[in-house]
Amino acid sequence: MERGEKIGLGLAVAGHVLLFGVLSVGFLATPNPIKLKQNPVEVSLVKDVALEAAAPQQTEAPSQAVAPDVGEPEEAPPPAEAPPQPVPAPVPEPAPQPEPKPVAKPAPPKPAPPKPAPKPAPAPKPVPKPQPKPKPAPPAAEKALAKPAPTKQQSAAASSKSSAAPAASKGKGKTETAKGEKPRGSRLGSDFLKGLTAEKSDAKPNDAPPSAARVDGKALAAIQQAIARQIQPCADRQVDPGPGANQIVTTLNLRLNRDGTLSATPTVVRQNGVDDDNRRYARRVVDLGIAAFKGCSPLKLPAEYYSTANGGWSNINYNWKLR
Amino acid sequence: MNPILQTDAATLSPIALFMEADWVVKAVMLGLLLASIWTWAIIIGFWLKLGRTRQRTEAFERDFWKAEDIDAFYKSQTHTDLPSARVLNAGVTEWRRSTQGQKIDREGTRERLATVMGSAVAREIDQLSDRLNVLATVGSVAPFVGLFGTVWGIMRSFTAIASQQNTSLSVVAPGIAEALFATAIGLFAAIPAVIAYNRFSHAINRIEARLNRFADGFHATLSRQLDGER
Repeated sequence: MERGEKIGLGLAVAGHVLLFGVLSVGFLATPNPIKLKQNPVEVSLVKDVALEAAAPQQTEAPSQAVAPDVGEPEEAPPPAEAPPQPVPAPVPEPAPQPEPKPVAKPAPPKPAPPKPAPKPAPAPKPVPKPQPKPKPAPPAAEKALAKPAPTKQQSAAASSKSSAAPAASKGKGKTETAKGEKPRGSRLGSDFLKGLTAEKSDAKPNDAPPSAARVDGKALAAIQQAIARQIQPCADRQVDPGPGANQIVTTLNLRLNRDGTLSATPTVVRQNGVDDDNRRYARRVVDLGIAAFKGCSPLKLPAEYYSTANGGWSNINYNWKLR
Repeated sequence: MNPILQTDAATLSPIALFMEADWVVKAVMLGLLLASIWTWAIIIGFWLKLGRTRQRTEAFERDFWKAEDIDAFYKSQTHTDLPSARVLNAGVTEWRRSTQGQKIDREGTRERLATVMGSAVAREIDQLSDRLNVLATVGSVAPFVGLFGTVWGIMRSFTAIASQQNTSLSVVAPGIAEALFATAIGLFAAIPAVIAYNRFSHAINRIEARLNRFADGFHATLSRQLDGER
């Protein structure tokens, strides 16, 4: 190698090192002003919170029609039920309903009447549900009703269940809406067609929808907050697995028993806020969330919202997030 | 400017791009980098040598044609590393050998002188253009080698997509950037090599023509001298 070539080699090496060094220092780096870091924002859609924002409407319509129907002596017990209902309207309702019942009870021989009898019985129950707190008071009256009825009600229950609501857990009365509608229909057919005015019939159809216990937005939000508050101690105990992990929002589906314990391990519905940086923690965050729920699992939540016509905390989605 | 070396691929830092590539692409990049360094070493060395050679050759030939006595001039020349000087040397040597005997074959001597000086010119040109083939090779092959690295890297990116079930740009982009860097280095090495090859072959053609003219002139001088010999 000649002298000139040695010089050339030295210059070439130096030039390359210089060039690549300058490039490495960021000389030509394209500035990256928009770091597309997605910051997870918690958005709670109203529709998610409550399927229907409906507090049960209590209308007073049902009162009038019943009077003409029946005039049996055993109607006394039903009035007792009436008191729990704050609205004046319900009071009259029970009156008519009990009437059919007594018919069924005292006179088992009659095959036809039993149907109307069970139907009215459920009808009064719906009333207590909308007002969960008054419950304790009615039980006596309710039980009185329920006890005499059981044998008959079973047959009735079969028909009612097949027709309406399988969801009823404790009381057969939970299928109120369906049952409530039935009796009216039947009543209309039997009693009103005889010669009653149309006004009354109009009023009753309007009443049908309102009579149901539903979870509204506020109640669900309150349940969510109650869950968050109760699992907070366990959530605080979980170790943050790494940077960015607390950006992950995991929607867990909780299946709860009535006593607030988990009936099944929470399952993942979806995860938001996962990016390249914290993807490796996604699985871990889910595990931590499940651990937190298991650790603080007997949750104390308002019993009246355990299960309602449009959902309750028996099966609820919760957005789990570390810290 | 941040004085710290950037290792983020988004900053176009060659080091980061190199470190993220897989070994095939790394090998391609390293090879191309060495080719680029070697190319520039040849370019610089050639440039220095040609510049010096041209100046001294001009001076040498000017002095030669001015000289009254070729023998005296030949003896006064100390440095023989010039192509022209070597051609002169070959011609003078052959002249002496041919004119040593009593009987001189004029036609044979002329032919031998032409042949000897022609081969001396050819040898000088061969020596000068020794490294040019490297430039030609780098210029024609480096883009393909870089392209190979790019194709390989992009194939790897696509298999990464397939394995991660994720087509987001942040998964694909680094692999493609690093792959394209191979082509960039290939072009970085090839472009100067091609330009230098063309320029230097042109320069060598001119040197060859000049040497041939010098040899022809010297041959004419010797041939005239030969006629003067008894």
